Amino acid sequence: MTGTIGKEPYIEIRGVRKGFSFGAEKVAIFSDLSLNIARGDFVAVMGPSGSGKSTLLNMLSGIDRPDSGKVRIGDSHLEQMGESAKAAWRAHNLGIVFQFYNLLPMLNTAQNVELPLLLKPLSRRQRAERVDTVLDLVGLDGRQKQYPASMSGGQQQRVGIARAIVTDPGLLLCDEPTGDLDCKSANDILEMLRLLNRELNKTIVMVTHDPEAAGFARRTLHLNKGEFTEQFQREPEDLAPQPHRDEAMEQGVARQ
Amino acid sequence: MFSQLKQTAAMTGANLGSLPRRAWIATSMVLSVALVVAVLTGFLSMAKGFEKTLAGAGSASVAIVLGGGTNQEIGSDIPADLIRNLRANRGETGIARDSAGAAIVSREILVPIDVKRLADGVDQTLALRGMDQAGPAVRDGVALSQGRLFAPGSREIVVGARLAGEFAGFGVGDRIRLGSVDWTVVGQFSAGGSAFESEIWADIEAVQSAFDRQGQVQTLRARLESPSSLPPLRATLASAVKTPVAALSEAEFYASQSARTSSLIRLFGWPIALLMAIGATAGALNTMMSSVSDRTVEIATLRTLGFGRLAAFTATWIEAVLLSLVGAAIGAAVSWLVFNGWQASTLGANNTRMAFQLTVTGSVMLQAGLLGLAIGVVGGTLPAFVATRLPLSAALAGRG
Repeated sequence: MTGTIGKEPYIEIRGVRKGFSFGAEKVAIFSDLSLNIARGDFVAVMGPSGSGKSTLLNMLSGIDRPDSGKVRIGDSHLEQMGESAKAAWRAHNLGIVFQFYNLLPMLNTAQNVELPLLLKPLSRRQRAERVDTVLDLVGLDGRQKQYPASMSGGQQQRVGIARAIVTDPGLLLCDEPTGDLDCKSANDILEMLRLLNRELNKTIVMVTHDPEAAGFARRTLHLNKGEFTEQFQREPEDLAPQPHRDEAMEQGVARQ
Repeated sequence: MFSQLKQTAAMTGANLGSLPRRAWIATSMVLSVALVVAVLTGFLSMAKGFEKTLAGAGSASVAIVLGGGTNQEIGSDIPADLIRNLRANRGETGIARDSAGAAIVSREILVPIDVKRLADGVDQTLALRGMDQAGPAVRDGVALSQGRLFAPGSREIVVGARLAGEFAGFGVGDRIRLGSVDWTVVGQFSAGGSAFESEIWADIEAVQSAFDRQGQVQTLRARLESPSSLPPLRATLASAVKTPVAALSEAEFYASQSARTSSLIRLFGWPIALLMAIGATAGALNTMMSSVSDRTVEIATLRTLGFGRLAAFTATWIEAVLLSLVGAAIGAAVSWLVFNGWQASTLGANNTRMAFQLTVTGSVMLQAGLLGLAIGVVGGTLPAFVATRLPLSAALAGRG
């Protein structure tokens, strides 16, 4: 399954094989995985546990290397890059939204969001301006000094999203971004991801178990035993009703 | 480069900020480093205090003449004809002369005696030194703090300031039995904390008589015209008697004595401290491994954001070094407060008690502190390396 819908593929996975060794036993995750994702797409990946969703995210983020095959994102061939090059690539091209937020508890909101900017040649003032901008974007303006421990799960995930987009990466990888949230907070986060996709043209790959969450994506891929078994393409009118961006942000803030 | 510094600073800040989560194990590392530093400081300050005490007793302008082929006072014997020869010699001997033209020389004999200590009633062996009236004059920095000097031929003693407070019967006017006769304390002297203060001085002939050593002289102590007068004195001695006699400057004499004992102290101190340091390094390694384990998700998250391996290594290593630095500082500070000036005593070269003060100097604290620091440097290296090898998938799998 290729999955590119009439657009130049931004992400190209071609003939990927990947397995893991557990002692003497070898477990194959992917035997011949191929996938194309266009720039600006919002793809949800669903599937049962052990289907290879996490491995797919690990390969797209450069954390795991395929045993063979190609993983290209933009002009970068991740399978050919060393660790340092991949770290630099992640710093400039990738934002990751984690299921459990992965905020550093000893840092406040602004400091957590600022972390990826430390990898860029920006002055302190430039960094502060960018942090303020993205915190405003995710509806957390004024909470710069607040620490993660004093925030709700939904607020922490907003901080996580702010950290993921603060460097303005082309690609967002989301690992069960609503898996640890209540229904309302989950809805806010998904709205935010959809707005980031539509308004800022972020390419988003989201792993989820939740069909409702997947409903916010432009298309859904089902992964089973290392193969894409099904894909569902939504027409614009099929997508869940979307409020205006500012309205969504305001609603988000009101719900926290 | 600048980015690496920023990455390292951010990761170090995150590491240190998470220390409260690991307060107990971090404290145990700090304390074990402090303990190693304190132990080494204790030994080194002992050696340094001993050296300082003997160095204070040594002058380059005073010569000690030893006979009988030994370099220690006990066992030395000065032939009587040498003494006569020196006194009769009006030529250039290198020995300074008084206003009457007599060589400033003191014949001396040293007798170990047992005296009960006030604190525990235990007998301690002290040095009773018989000397001529010129004896105090051939010692630099000696001053009577109370009373007067012993009179020639009398059974009178003056005692060093360190002994006066520690032993019964050493107050001025007291009578005390040393050997088989009673002695009257007529004075106390100070000598700038040097080894002299651990001695009791009396007239040489009174000591010879009381201890049945008539005519015996173990050493001659002479005031030199200048520090460069030692070679002429040696030449005079060589031509005066056929038996071997040696002339050393007082500084050389005490330096050789202190070198032996302080080397011995260091010989015990360093291996003990090093063995403890190896244990502490294992503790530091354990602490830092637990630190890395505790921060797995944080480190993996930062690496996933694009932070490099070098920053992960350096930040973990800096944490270990900082913890050991705190331990070293605590150990050095506590050692200085506890050990510096602590009164101790040991048997000197003449098998008599010599009191000294433990001396915690800057170099002592530096040596012990560097050993403490080395614990962090070595103990933090492997965990720092492990931090660079953490699977980044931990960031996706773990609860942050």
